[in-house]
Amino acid sequence: MELEALQTALPDIQRLGASLVAISPQLEKYGHSVHRRLNLGFDILTDRGLQVGAQFGLVFVLPDYLKTVYLQFGNKLDEFHGENAFRLPMPARYIVDQQSVIRSANVSPDYTMRPEPSETVATLEELTNGRG
Amino acid sequence: MTLEQKMDDFKAQFESGGPPYNAPKAVIEVFHRATEDLCQSGLAERALKTGERAPAFTLNNQDGNSISSAELLAKGPLVITFFRGHW
Repeated sequence: MELEALQTALPDIQRLGASLVAISPQLEKYGHSVHRRLNLGFDILTDRGLQVGAQFGLVFVLPDYLKTVYLQFGNKLDEFHGENAFRLPMPARYIVDQQSVIRSANVSPDYTMRPEPSETVATLEELTNGRG
Repeated sequence: MTLEQKMDDFKAQFESGGPPYNAPKAVIEVFHRATEDLCQSGLAERALKTGERAPAFTLNNQDGNSISSAELLAKGPLVITFFRGHW
């Protein structure tokens, strides 16, 4: 859902001279099928071992009670990730400027919440106009 | 429709326990508990914030090509979205 919404905002993001990437721990072949199915104009990157997610401080280990439910429903996170640690990143959206400084950070411990892509575009606009 | 509205609709549909997800009440409660635990853990407050330095990365894209944040940042600002996966 979020990826589709970001795809809609992609022309605005590019118009402002910015790039967009989506990062998840799922292996390349799963990223490939999502990319094709949703016809995305931006890359889906594979964060093997959740190393980048961990550097951003986003990674958590699924509690056993949740892992049990995932497994019951045939959600094979171990296959998707190529590891059996059952870890996930919290959903998050960052805007990074050309000096590698984070200019906007939005982390969602509640996975049903996301910032609007239009907010991201508005922040980028401020940034590129030198008002950020 | 905004992303928030779409996600709210999905959540309402899922939590109704009806089709297409037919989620049992016990499962919905587990998800609620997990979200509550994660919120209370304070992990989100410890994640990288505005004003901090973003780590550089080089990762494979969906076609197996290597993509580096440094190359993207040479062209302009970078929006990074972390997602759990499309299962």
